[in-house]
Amino acid sequence: MTSVARPAGPRRLAAFAVPSEPGNERLALAQVAEAVAASGLPPARMERLKTAVAEATMNAIEHGNQGRPDIPVDVEVVQDGDDIIVAITDLGGEHEPGGSVEEPDLLLKLEGEQRARGWGLFLIRNMVDAMHVRTDGPRHTIQLIMRAGAAAAVPHTGGSEGGGDEEDL
Amino acid sequence: MRKTCEAAVRELGGTAVIELTGEVDGGAAGVLNAAYEEAVTQGEPRTVVLDFAHVGYINSTGIALIVSVLARARAERRKVVASGLSEHYREIFDITRLSDFIEVFGDLDAAVSQLAGPAT
Repeated sequence: MTSVARPAGPRRLAAFAVPSEPGNERLALAQVAEAVAASGLPPARMERLKTAVAEATMNAIEHGNQGRPDIPVDVEVVQDGDDIIVAITDLGGEHEPGGSVEEPDLLLKLEGEQRARGWGLFLIRNMVDAMHVRTDGPRHTIQLIMRAGAAAAVPHTGGSEGGGDEEDL
Repeated sequence: MRKTCEAAVRELGGTAVIELTGEVDGGAAGVLNAAYEEAVTQGEPRTVVLDFAHVGYINSTGIALIVSVLARARAERRKVVASGLSEHYREIFDITRLSDFIEVFGDLDAAVSQLAGPAT
């Protein structure tokens, strides 16, 4: 009988930085997708992860680094057992990861009682299995967790897990 | 590489069709708004189809643009439908509840034939 054993400890799949310029979230999502291609993440969950990475990187560029190209957004991809963990770090210190904590309500938006924007954080939370935010001085990191392998078969209910270090959203 | 959003507007059986190509993000605002303007001034259509068959990427700002188009259409008592969305973006339309307000069809042919009604 054969079995496929995953490494016991965390394994870094990629680490890179992108300049804080509009559109560079596409570079980040492409590199993350390449890094996790062999992880066993089903295609639909790969698309979810790509959207979450793009949104988190966009937030880091716009809200964290204020669109300053000289300040990079750091991206690290780690596999820890069945967990794919993507950490996206800007140097904006404490800030709301989506620029807004307001829960988007489509009907309110259609009636002009809420601005049309403000979907970024909502999308991130609904795309991944868990999301954590931490700030260490100027370093502000959003950590996205997606389960690969057998764990990915567990039905996804959306939203972020409760966690001790999760930012109060 | 970033693919700028482009839009082609045409009229099919009394329905305005906006065929989008490229990426629907913040850079698409001018293109999408101009296309909607052109679509509704051509013939006062009751329905506007947004066709995403050739769109590879929609981000949160693109979702906001679609919300703005939908808000304007509702104010003008027009219906907006979508076609050609990938499974992933269909899911995003569900999560954001856009699909509660925008009927989603598999492709443009299905949308247009459904809107035209049964042949007599």
